[in-house]
Amino acid sequence: MSQKTAFVFPAFISEFTKKELDFLSENNIDFNNYLQRVSVALEIDLPEFSYVSNNYNNELKSQLLAYLFSCAFYDILEKKGIEPQFVAGYSMGIYASLYASKSISLEEGAKFIYTAYTIVSKLTETKKFGMGAIIGLPIKDIKYLIEENAPDTEIINVNNEHSIVIAGKKKDINLVLERAKEEGAMSSIELTVNTPYHSKYLLKYSESFQKYISTIQICDAEIPIISTYDQREIVKVSEIKSELLFNLTSKINWYKTMQKLLTKDVSNIYECGAGKDLKKISRFIKGDYKMNSIYKI
Amino acid sequence: MAQITEKTRGEVKEVVLDFFAEECEIELNEISEDSKIIGDLDGDSLMFLELIEIFKKKFNLNIELKTIGKYAVKNPVQTIGELIDMQLLIIEHENNILDM
Repeated sequence: MSQKTAFVFPAFISEFTKKELDFLSENNIDFNNYLQRVSVALEIDLPEFSYVSNNYNNELKSQLLAYLFSCAFYDILEKKGIEPQFVAGYSMGIYASLYASKSISLEEGAKFIYTAYTIVSKLTETKKFGMGAIIGLPIKDIKYLIEENAPDTEIINVNNEHSIVIAGKKKDINLVLERAKEEGAMSSIELTVNTPYHSKYLLKYSESFQKYISTIQICDAEIPIISTYDQREIVKVSEIKSELLFNLTSKINWYKTMQKLLTKDVSNIYECGAGKDLKKISRFIKGDYKMNSIYKI
Repeated sequence: MAQITEKTRGEVKEVVLDFFAEECEIELNEISEDSKIIGDLDGDSLMFLELIEIFKKKFNLNIELKTIGKYAVKNPVQTIGELIDMQLLIIEHENNILDM
Protein backbone atom coordinates (compact mmCIF):
# COMPACT_ATOMS: atom_id res chain seq x y z
CA MET A 1 0.00 0.00 0.00
CA SER A 2 1.59 3.28 -1.08
CA GLN A 3 1.40 6.17 1.32
CA LYS A 4 -0.28 9.23 -0.08
CA THR A 5 -0.36 12.87 0.82
CA ALA A 6 -3.25 15.31 0.90
CA PHE A 7 -3.40 19.05 1.42
CA VAL A 8 -6.45 20.42 3.20
CA PHE A 9 -7.44 24.06 3.16
CA PRO A 10 -9.30 25.88 5.93
CA ALA A 11 -12.06 28.42 5.33
CA PHE A 12 -11.43 30.68 8.26
CA ILE A 13 -8.87 31.45 10.93
CA SER A 14 -10.30 31.27 14.42
CA GLU A 15 -6.90 31.95 15.95
CA PHE A 16 -3.46 32.58 14.49
CA THR A 17 -0.56 30.47 15.70
CA LYS A 18 1.43 33.70 15.28
CA LYS A 19 4.07 31.69 13.49
CA GLU A 20 2.50 32.43 10.10
CA LEU A 21 4.27 35.64 9.10
CA ASP A 22 7.69 34.45 10.26
CA PHE A 23 7.18 31.18 8.41
CA LEU A 24 6.30 33.02 5.20
CA SER A 25 9.25 35.38 5.39
CA GLU A 26 11.67 32.55 6.28
CA ASN A 27 10.52 30.94 3.05
CA ASN A 28 10.97 34.13 1.05
CA ILE A 29 7.27 34.68 0.52
CA ASP A 30 6.21 38.32 0.40
CA PHE A 31 2.69 38.10 1.76
CA ASN A 32 2.05 41.75 0.98
CA ASN A 33 2.46 40.88 -2.65
CA TYR A 34 -0.46 38.43 -2.39
CA LEU A 35 -2.56 41.11 -0.71
CA GLN A 36 -1.65 43.68 -3.36
CA ARG A 37 -2.41 41.39 -6.27
CA VAL A 38 -5.88 40.73 -4.90
CA SER A 39 -6.40 44.39 -3.97
CA VAL A 40 -5.81 45.29 -7.60
CA ALA A 41 -7.93 42.46 -8.98
CA LEU A 42 -10.90 43.27 -6.75
CA GLU A 43 -10.34 47.03 -6.56
CA ILE A 44 -10.61 46.96 -2.80
CA ASP A 45 -8.15 47.95 -0.12
CA LEU A 46 -6.34 45.04 1.49
CA PRO A 47 -3.82 46.70 3.79
CA GLU A 48 -0.72 45.11 5.24
CA PHE A 49 -1.64 42.40 7.72
CA SER A 50 -0.54 42.26 11.33
CA TYR A 51 -1.81 40.07 14.16
CA VAL A 52 -2.96 43.05 16.19
CA SER A 53 -4.72 45.14 13.56
CA ASN A 54 -8.48 45.11 13.04
CA ASN A 55 -8.21 45.48 9.28
CA TYR A 56 -9.47 42.00 8.54
CA ASN A 57 -12.33 41.69 10.98
CA ASN A 58 -15.17 41.83 8.49
CA GLU A 59 -16.57 38.66 6.96
CA LEU A 60 -15.36 39.26 3.40
CA LYS A 61 -11.86 40.40 4.28
CA SER A 62 -11.37 37.62 6.79
CA GLN A 63 -12.31 35.07 4.10
CA LEU A 64 -9.91 36.67 1.64
CA LEU A 65 -7.16 36.66 4.24
CA ALA A 66 -7.69 32.97 5.03
CA TYR A 67 -7.64 32.23 1.30
CA LEU A 68 -4.42 34.15 0.70
CA PHE A 69 -2.61 32.55 3.61
CA SER A 70 -3.67 29.15 2.25
CA CYS A 71 -2.37 29.98 -1.22
CA ALA A 72 0.91 31.32 0.16
CA PHE A 73 1.40 28.22 2.32
CA TYR A 74 0.64 26.02 -0.65
CA ASP A 75 3.27 27.87 -2.69
CA ILE A 76 5.84 27.05 -0.02
CA LEU A 77 4.96 23.36 -0.02
CA GLU A 78 5.15 23.31 -3.79
CA LYS A 79 8.56 25.02 -3.76
CA LYS A 80 9.78 22.42 -1.29
CA GLY A 81 8.66 19.67 -3.63
CA ILE A 82 5.92 18.25 -1.42
CA GLU A 83 3.28 16.99 -3.81
CA PRO A 84 -0.21 15.96 -2.78
CA GLN A 85 -2.18 13.22 -4.46
CA PHE A 86 -5.43 14.82 -3.30
CA VAL A 87 -6.67 18.17 -2.05
CA ALA A 88 -9.81 19.17 -0.17
CA GLY A 89 -11.12 22.53 0.95
CA TYR A 90 -13.19 23.03 4.06
CA SER A 91 -16.16 25.18 3.02
CA MET A 92 -14.73 28.33 1.42
CA GLY A 93 -11.38 26.54 1.50
CA ILE A 94 -12.49 25.09 -1.82
CA TYR A 95 -11.07 28.14 -3.61
CA ALA A 96 -7.57 27.56 -2.25
CA SER A 97 -7.86 23.88 -3.18
CA LEU A 98 -8.69 24.96 -6.74
CA TYR A 99 -5.67 27.27 -6.73
CA ALA A 100 -3.46 24.38 -5.58
CA SER A 101 -4.84 22.08 -8.25
CA LYS A 102 -4.10 24.76 -10.88
CA SER A 103 -7.75 25.11 -11.87
CA ILE A 104 -7.89 28.83 -11.14
CA SER A 105 -5.42 31.64 -10.54
CA LEU A 106 -4.86 33.44 -7.26
CA GLU A 107 -6.91 36.38 -8.50
CA GLU A 108 -9.78 34.25 -9.78
CA GLY A 109 -10.08 32.48 -6.43
CA ALA A 110 -10.34 35.85 -4.72
CA LYS A 111 -12.94 36.96 -7.25
CA PHE A 112 -15.01 33.88 -6.49
CA ILE A 113 -14.95 34.68 -2.79
CA TYR A 114 -15.79 38.31 -3.45
CA THR A 115 -18.61 37.45 -5.84
CA ALA A 116 -20.13 34.76 -3.63
CA TYR A 117 -20.05 37.22 -0.76
CA THR A 118 -21.55 40.03 -2.84
CA ILE A 119 -24.34 37.82 -4.22
CA VAL A 120 -25.46 36.72 -0.76
CA SER A 121 -24.81 40.10 0.85
CA LYS A 122 -28.50 41.03 0.91
CA LEU A 123 -28.97 38.18 3.31
CA THR A 124 -25.76 38.89 5.22
CA GLU A 125 -26.54 42.56 5.72
CA THR A 126 -29.85 41.84 7.46
CA LYS A 127 -27.67 40.43 10.29
CA LYS A 128 -30.55 38.08 10.99
CA PHE A 129 -28.70 34.95 9.95
CA GLY A 130 -25.75 33.08 11.31
CA MET A 131 -24.10 29.84 12.19
CA GLY A 132 -23.20 27.94 15.34
CA ALA A 133 -21.00 25.07 16.45
CA ILE A 134 -22.00 22.41 18.96
CA ILE A 135 -19.41 20.16 20.54
CA GLY A 136 -20.07 17.05 22.58
CA LEU A 137 -23.66 16.11 21.72
CA PRO A 138 -24.59 13.20 19.44
CA ILE A 139 -26.03 14.27 16.10
CA LYS A 140 -29.36 12.57 16.87
CA ASP A 141 -29.75 14.77 19.96
CA ILE A 142 -29.01 17.88 17.93
CA LYS A 143 -31.52 16.86 15.29
CA TYR A 144 -34.09 16.43 18.03
CA LEU A 145 -33.30 19.83 19.56
CA ILE A 146 -33.69 21.47 16.16
CA GLU A 147 -36.96 19.70 15.46
CA GLU A 148 -38.38 20.69 18.84
CA ASN A 149 -37.11 24.25 19.01
CA ALA A 150 -36.24 25.69 15.62
CA PRO A 151 -37.12 23.42 12.71
CA ASP A 152 -35.88 25.89 10.11
CA THR A 153 -32.34 25.50 11.41
CA GLU A 154 -30.14 23.04 9.56
CA ILE A 155 -27.13 20.91 10.36
CA ILE A 156 -24.92 22.05 7.53
CA ASN A 157 -21.67 20.29 8.37
CA VAL A 158 -20.35 17.43 10.46
CA ASN A 159 -16.77 18.21 11.45
CA ASN A 160 -16.12 14.99 13.32
CA GLU A 161 -17.83 12.58 15.71
CA HIS A 162 -18.35 15.29 18.29
CA SER A 163 -18.53 18.58 16.41
CA ILE A 164 -21.51 19.76 14.40
CA VAL A 165 -22.15 23.07 12.60
CA ILE A 166 -25.62 24.55 12.25
CA ALA A 167 -26.93 27.45 10.17
CA GLY A 168 -30.12 29.45 9.98
CA LYS A 169 -31.76 32.48 11.53
CA LYS A 170 -29.73 33.98 14.35
CA LYS A 171 -32.56 33.79 16.88
CA ASP A 172 -33.09 30.11 16.04
CA ILE A 173 -29.37 29.39 16.19
CA ASN A 174 -29.11 30.97 19.61
CA LEU A 175 -32.09 29.02 20.86
CA VAL A 176 -30.64 25.71 19.67
CA LEU A 177 -27.23 26.60 21.13
CA GLU A 178 -28.80 27.40 24.48
CA ARG A 179 -30.79 24.14 24.53
CA ALA A 180 -27.67 22.22 23.49
CA LYS A 181 -25.82 23.59 26.48
CA GLU A 182 -28.67 22.57 28.78
CA GLU A 183 -28.58 19.07 27.25
CA GLY A 184 -24.90 18.66 28.09
CA ALA A 185 -22.98 19.98 25.08
CA MET A 186 -19.39 20.61 26.10
CA SER A 187 -19.49 23.81 24.10
CA SER A 188 -22.06 25.58 21.94
CA ILE A 189 -21.01 28.82 20.38
CA GLU A 190 -22.26 31.23 17.77
CA LEU A 191 -19.81 31.67 14.90
CA THR A 192 -18.80 35.18 13.89
CA VAL A 193 -20.57 35.16 10.54
CA ASN A 194 -23.80 36.70 9.35
CA THR A 195 -24.25 34.34 6.41
CA PRO A 196 -25.89 30.93 6.83
CA TYR A 197 -23.43 29.20 4.48
CA HIS A 198 -24.42 25.80 3.04
CA SER A 199 -28.03 26.23 4.13
CA LYS A 200 -31.32 26.34 2.23
CA TYR A 201 -31.35 30.12 2.67
CA LEU A 202 -28.67 30.39 0.00
CA LEU A 203 -30.52 28.33 -2.58
CA LYS A 204 -32.22 31.41 -4.02
CA TYR A 205 -28.80 32.73 -5.02
CA SER A 206 -27.90 29.60 -7.00
CA GLU A 207 -28.83 31.05 -10.36
CA SER A 208 -26.80 34.24 -9.93
CA PHE A 209 -23.77 32.33 -8.72
CA GLN A 210 -24.09 29.78 -11.49
CA LYS A 211 -24.16 32.59 -14.06
CA TYR A 212 -20.97 33.99 -12.57
CA ILE A 213 -19.29 30.57 -12.54
CA SER A 214 -20.04 30.18 -16.25
CA THR A 215 -18.08 33.35 -17.02
CA ILE A 216 -14.84 32.22 -15.36
CA GLN A 217 -12.01 30.40 -17.05
CA ILE A 218 -11.53 27.20 -15.08
CA CYS A 219 -9.09 24.41 -15.98
CA ASP A 220 -9.22 20.70 -15.18
CA ALA A 221 -7.70 19.96 -11.79
CA GLU A 222 -4.11 18.72 -11.90
CA ILE A 223 -4.65 17.23 -8.46
CA PRO A 224 -7.99 15.51 -7.74
CA ILE A 225 -10.20 17.44 -5.36
CA ILE A 226 -12.37 15.55 -2.89
CA SER A 227 -15.86 17.02 -2.79
CA THR A 228 -17.09 18.07 0.64
CA TYR A 229 -20.62 17.83 -0.74
CA ASP A 230 -20.66 14.14 -1.73
CA GLN A 231 -17.00 13.07 -1.43
CA ARG A 232 -16.53 12.26 -5.11
CA GLU A 233 -13.19 12.87 -6.81
CA ILE A 234 -13.30 15.96 -8.98
CA VAL A 235 -11.04 16.69 -11.92
CA LYS A 236 -13.11 17.90 -14.88
CA VAL A 237 -14.17 21.51 -15.33
CA SER A 238 -17.86 20.61 -15.45
CA GLU A 239 -17.55 18.80 -12.10
CA ILE A 240 -15.65 21.71 -10.60
CA LYS A 241 -18.40 24.09 -11.67
CA SER A 242 -21.07 21.89 -10.08
CA GLU A 243 -19.03 21.59 -6.92
CA LEU A 244 -18.62 25.36 -6.64
CA LEU A 245 -22.37 25.73 -6.63
CA PHE A 246 -22.96 22.85 -4.19
CA ASN A 247 -20.27 24.23 -1.93
CA LEU A 248 -22.11 27.51 -1.49
CA THR A 249 -25.70 26.34 -1.33
CA SER A 250 -25.69 22.77 -0.01
CA LYS A 251 -24.71 20.93 3.13
CA ILE A 252 -21.17 19.70 3.35
CA ASN A 253 -19.59 16.93 5.41
CA TRP A 254 -15.97 17.36 6.44
CA TYR A 255 -15.94 14.16 8.50
CA LYS A 256 -16.86 12.07 5.46
CA THR A 257 -14.40 14.02 3.31
CA MET A 258 -11.55 13.14 5.66
CA GLN A 259 -12.71 9.54 5.78
CA LYS A 260 -12.70 9.45 1.99
CA LEU A 261 -9.09 10.66 1.97
CA LEU A 262 -8.21 7.83 4.33
CA THR A 263 -9.89 5.25 2.12
CA LYS A 264 -7.65 6.53 -0.69
CA ASP A 265 -4.60 5.53 1.41
CA VAL A 266 -3.78 9.08 2.44
CA SER A 267 -1.61 8.95 5.54
CA ASN A 268 0.07 12.35 5.43
CA ILE A 269 -2.12 15.42 5.65
CA TYR A 270 -0.91 19.01 5.63
CA GLU A 271 -3.15 21.84 6.77
CA CYS A 272 -2.42 24.54 4.23
CA GLY A 273 -3.42 27.69 6.00
CA ALA A 274 -3.12 29.99 8.96
CA GLY A 275 -4.18 28.79 12.39
CA LYS A 276 -4.73 25.11 13.09
CA ASP A 277 -8.48 24.74 12.94
CA LEU A 278 -8.47 21.66 10.73
CA LYS A 279 -5.92 19.97 12.95
CA LYS A 280 -8.18 20.60 15.92
CA ILE A 281 -11.19 19.23 14.08
CA SER A 282 -9.23 16.12 13.07
CA ARG A 283 -8.99 15.04 16.69
CA PHE A 284 -12.08 12.88 16.49
CA ILE A 285 -11.50 11.59 12.99
CA LYS A 286 -9.97 8.21 13.61
CA GLY A 287 -7.56 6.61 11.19
CA ASP A 288 -3.98 5.81 10.42
CA TYR A 289 -2.80 9.26 9.36
CA LYS A 290 -0.78 12.18 10.57
CA MET A 291 -1.76 15.84 10.48
CA ASN A 292 1.66 17.30 9.76
CA SER A 293 2.69 20.64 11.10
CA ILE A 294 3.53 22.85 8.17
CA TYR A 295 6.03 24.69 10.35
CA LYS A 296 8.20 21.59 10.69
CA ILE A 297 8.76 20.90 7.00
CA MET B 1 -17.09 4.82 43.32
CA ALA B 2 -13.35 4.69 42.72
CA GLN B 3 -10.87 5.58 45.43
CA ILE B 4 -8.57 8.39 44.42
CA THR B 5 -5.05 7.91 45.73
CA GLU B 6 -1.88 9.95 45.32
CA LYS B 7 -0.87 7.39 42.69
CA THR B 8 -4.07 8.06 40.73
CA ARG B 9 -3.47 11.78 40.89
CA GLY B 10 0.07 11.30 39.67
CA GLU B 11 -1.09 9.17 36.76
CA VAL B 12 -3.80 11.62 35.76
CA LYS B 13 -1.39 14.55 35.99
CA GLU B 14 1.14 12.77 33.81
CA VAL B 15 -1.45 11.95 31.14
CA VAL B 16 -2.82 15.50 31.12
CA LEU B 17 0.60 17.15 30.88
CA ASP B 18 1.83 14.74 28.17
CA PHE B 19 -1.38 15.28 26.23
CA PHE B 20 -1.12 19.08 26.26
CA ALA B 21 2.60 19.03 25.46
CA GLU B 22 1.96 16.90 22.39
CA GLU B 23 -1.19 18.67 21.24
CA CYS B 24 0.20 22.15 21.74
CA GLU B 25 3.62 21.24 20.37
CA ILE B 26 5.45 22.58 23.42
CA GLU B 27 7.97 21.18 25.88
CA LEU B 28 6.65 19.39 28.94
CA ASN B 29 8.52 21.75 31.26
CA GLU B 30 6.61 24.69 29.78
CA ILE B 31 3.35 23.40 31.31
CA SER B 32 2.46 23.57 34.97
CA GLU B 33 -0.70 23.19 37.02
CA ASP B 34 -1.04 26.97 36.87
CA SER B 35 -1.00 27.11 33.06
CA LYS B 36 -4.20 28.59 31.68
CA ILE B 37 -5.82 26.14 29.28
CA ILE B 38 -7.12 28.70 26.82
CA GLY B 39 -4.88 31.70 27.43
CA ASP B 40 -1.53 29.90 27.66
CA LEU B 41 -2.09 26.65 25.77
CA ASP B 42 -4.74 27.44 23.15
CA GLY B 43 -6.80 24.54 24.48
CA ASP B 44 -10.39 23.89 23.46
CA SER B 45 -13.41 21.78 24.26
CA LEU B 46 -12.42 19.06 21.78
CA MET B 47 -9.20 18.57 23.72
CA PHE B 48 -11.23 18.26 26.90
CA LEU B 49 -13.43 15.65 25.22
CA GLU B 50 -10.43 13.71 24.01
CA LEU B 51 -8.99 13.63 27.51
CA ILE B 52 -12.26 12.30 28.84
CA GLU B 53 -12.16 9.53 26.23
CA ILE B 54 -8.58 8.71 27.24
CA PHE B 55 -9.52 8.39 30.91
CA LYS B 56 -12.71 6.52 30.05
CA LYS B 57 -10.60 3.81 28.44
CA LYS B 58 -7.76 3.91 30.95
CA PHE B 59 -10.01 3.57 34.00
CA ASN B 60 -12.87 1.71 32.30
CA LEU B 61 -15.34 4.42 33.31
CA ASN B 62 -19.10 4.32 32.94
CA ILE B 63 -19.71 7.87 31.78
CA GLU B 64 -21.87 9.67 29.28
CA LEU B 65 -20.38 12.71 27.63
CA LYS B 66 -23.64 14.59 28.06
CA THR B 67 -23.48 14.13 31.82
CA ILE B 68 -19.91 15.34 31.96
CA GLY B 69 -20.89 18.24 29.69
CA LYS B 70 -23.62 19.33 32.09
CA TYR B 71 -21.16 19.23 34.96
CA ALA B 72 -18.45 21.05 33.00
CA VAL B 73 -20.78 23.87 31.97
CA LYS B 74 -21.71 24.46 35.62
CA ASN B 75 -18.14 24.04 36.86
CA PRO B 76 -15.83 25.46 34.20
CA VAL B 77 -12.11 24.97 34.62
CA GLN B 78 -9.42 27.44 33.65
CA THR B 79 -6.09 25.93 34.62
CA ILE B 80 -4.39 22.59 34.09
CA GLY B 81 -4.56 21.97 37.86
CA GLU B 82 -8.33 22.51 37.85
CA LEU B 83 -8.65 20.23 34.84
CA ILE B 84 -6.71 17.48 36.65
CA ASP B 85 -9.01 17.87 39.66
CA MET B 86 -12.07 17.63 37.42
CA GLN B 87 -10.77 14.50 35.73
CA LEU B 88 -10.23 12.97 39.17
CA LEU B 89 -13.81 13.80 40.13
CA ILE B 90 -15.01 12.15 36.93
CA ILE B 91 -12.96 9.04 37.69
CA GLU B 92 -14.27 9.01 41.25
CA HIS B 93 -17.96 9.64 40.57
CA GLU B 94 -18.44 8.67 36.91
CA ASN B 95 -22.06 9.35 35.88
CA ASN B 96 -23.00 10.33 39.44
CA ILE B 97 -20.90 13.45 39.21
CA LEU B 98 -24.01 15.60 38.88
CA ASP B 99 -25.24 14.40 42.29
CA MET B 100 -22.24 15.88 44.07
